Amino acid sequence: MLDVIPCEVINWTILNEIISMDEDDPEFSRGLITQFIDQAENTFHDMDVHLHGDGDLKELDNLGHFLKGSSAALGLQRIAWVCERIQNLGRKLEQEFPSRETLLDSLPASAGVQPQDRVEPSVAPAVGAQEGNDDAVYLALIGRALAQARIEFKLARTELSQYYGAQL
Amino acid sequence: MSPELPTRNLAAPSSHAASLGNPLVKSEMSRYSSTMQGSDVQQQQQQQIHMQNRIPVAGGSMTAQQLASSNRPPSNEFVRKLFKILESNIYSNIVRWTEEGDSFVVLDTGKFTTQILPNHFKHSNFASFVRQLNKYDFHKVKRKMDDKQKPKFGELSWEFKHPAFQIHNEKALDNIKRKMAASKKMDESSFTGRMQGTGGENSTGTTISKDVFNNLKKRVEGLEKELFASKNETLGIKIEVQKMNSKYNALLESLITFKTVNENLMSSFNQLCSSLSNNAINIPQHIYQSAPGTKDGNLTAPVFKSHQGSPNNNEPNHAQSLINNPLPLIGTPSNDILLPLQTSESRNNGVETSSNRSNNNSNTTPGSNDANVADLKQIPNEFNAQVPQQGLDLNNVELRKGFHVLLVEDDAISIQLCSKFLRKYGCTVQVVTDGLSAITTLENSRYDLVLMDIVMPNLDGATATSIIRSFDNQTPIIAMTGNIDDGDLITYLQHGMNDILAKPFTRDDLHSMLIRYLKDRTPLCEQKRQLASESNVNHQQPNQPAAPQQHQHQQQQQLPQYQNEHTHPSLNQLSSQQNGPQNSPNTQLPQNQSSNLPMDRDFEDDNHISKKPRV
Repeated sequence: MLDVIPCEVINWTILNEIISMDEDDPEFSRGLITQFIDQAENTFHDMDVHLHGDGDLKELDNLGHFLKGSSAALGLQRIAWVCERIQNLGRKLEQEFPSRETLLDSLPASAGVQPQDRVEPSVAPAVGAQEGNDDAVYLALIGRALAQARIEFKLARTELSQYYGAQL
Repeated sequence: MSPELPTRNLAAPSSHAASLGNPLVKSEMSRYSSTMQGSDVQQQQQQQIHMQNRIPVAGGSMTAQQLASSNRPPSNEFVRKLFKILESNIYSNIVRWTEEGDSFVVLDTGKFTTQILPNHFKHSNFASFVRQLNKYDFHKVKRKMDDKQKPKFGELSWEFKHPAFQIHNEKALDNIKRKMAASKKMDESSFTGRMQGTGGENSTGTTISKDVFNNLKKRVEGLEKELFASKNETLGIKIEVQKMNSKYNALLESLITFKTVNENLMSSFNQLCSSLSNNAINIPQHIYQSAPGTKDGNLTAPVFKSHQGSPNNNEPNHAQSLINNPLPLIGTPSNDILLPLQTSESRNNGVETSSNRSNNNSNTTPGSNDANVADLKQIPNEFNAQVPQQGLDLNNVELRKGFHVLLVEDDAISIQLCSKFLRKYGCTVQVVTDGLSAITTLENSRYDLVLMDIVMPNLDGATATSIIRSFDNQTPIIAMTGNIDDGDLITYLQHGMNDILAKPFTRDDLHSMLIRYLKDRTPLCEQKRQLASESNVNHQQPNQPAAPQQHQHQQQQQLPQYQNEHTHPSLNQLSSQQNGPQNSPNTQLPQNQSSNLPMDRDFEDDNHISKKPRV
């Protein structure tokens, strides 16, 4: 059984702690966030490449693990959760990924989910999957998880932009 | 000058060599002796003239006939067979001696292959016949051309030659030997060179120089020594592996029992709390209510839950009996997990200490959720430390400034965060981004503490740690990881990591980890200053000596003061396990704890695994 996705996009207890470090280094937290945004976009791109290229589950696992670490460190807990799913799917430790509807329903109304975000994505079948193993199943699940990660990333970005009063 | 003299002289060294029982020597000797033949008196005399420097290798009086008729089977049967075929001349249209009589020619390789080979050599492969000849150092003779520029013996002919393979000369066959392996060629060539120098045309007698013999002997002896040494080594390693294996199993067992006992203690404590509160003793709710409810401590949570709902009759007694008589557990080490760490006093007053503890807990400001979590984490510590107050205000303990921390982490964001926190706590931070660099960095300089990520490029943190532990048993290494399940935890500890800091961690998590491993220490940089000012070894200094090589020794000197403070046998076992080979190679784990075993300074604090609520 899967863990349940956290409701709040951002764990403010964690992020506030980081923001409190801004005292002696004014741009500290914001610098980290900006860095994370770059990192996340690159990682999503790399995931796409593997997903529709070589279908390398191990790489996807690694990328998932990588982004999980930095998102969790910043309190971006929903992204971290999805990344953990990707990591585990890459290791074939899990065999399911919740529907987008379920995942978005757990969000508070304030999260500002766009209607178009609610549409379950149609994930193109992965090319790299080989005949005779179940890689394709996991790649398809990771494809859905990646789409979810992008939504979560967008939501987090919106909330962070609101906080910093600037488009991040 | 009697002919027997050389033979007698030979006896000593050859029997000595044989007594070494080395096949190499034997074969070398027999090889030399088998080439000895003919009793040329002149040669004998010559040999005796050089007696000072040379050892004649076999009786010079031994003839080829004697040799051939001796029990030793001729080693060149193939050549003799071929010789007989040629001598009999029954296949003269297929194979025969050349006119000169110093070589033979296969006139028709086809017939030779189909008729002679199957009958006499049990195969029908001309190539392997040629190979065989090559082995005996026969050489193919370039085709002789007749007047009409045609091969003398026909298109299909093959002519072969060996200096000692001559018509009607059976004696000379003894000189035809299989070629030696490449490594022996050198010896042989020097040997044959000598042979030619002294042996004359027919090389009917030979000597090897004392030097060559002695060199050979030395080499053989050297090889034997090496062989013996490596055999011993292999045996040692095998034993070591077995020992490690049994220690590993014991460790695993004791960890599991430790966990069980811990769970039991926690549940008893919980029951005690609820029974106390039932008896109208005021206990802050969070101690036993919020604790199991939080996501904290997955080790204890299930037990908490199961006991919470149960009716609480006889709880205090139950708790006390649990404390007084720890469960009879598998394997000896487990029994000692609890007993030695509690004085008889605290054992008899189990209930009181527990209630004290809860009062203490109530005194602490029930602040943030994190603070409560930290308190909870400290509970196991208190059992070990017998100084509950010390653990409780953990977050208020001031860490000394100037600790040098090595941060091994590959994620840029985590690096910035973690080093920021560390600097906030007055530490200096060095960052490396993979396991390999961590190893080289620790080889070159020392740190008060290492924070190590697990999943990293080049080399993962656990493996890196086990390598680091091969030269540094001292520096605390804390794993930082987001992957936490019991199997992983044991693996990390098994690799020599002291503790685990679950990712993501808060400042407080990091702080309590730093406190746990550094609170009694003096930063290395200060130590260096102290060491520089005091030339003698300072026994009061509660910290590591500067030179890594001296760790073990000095630690043992310092040990008693830590033992009094707070030791946890099971974890000391753990440390002795990890340092097992060096520290207590012959002691089995169960006996370890009573003896004054060398313990690692790193483990005097407890090793318990702190878990952060996962968000």
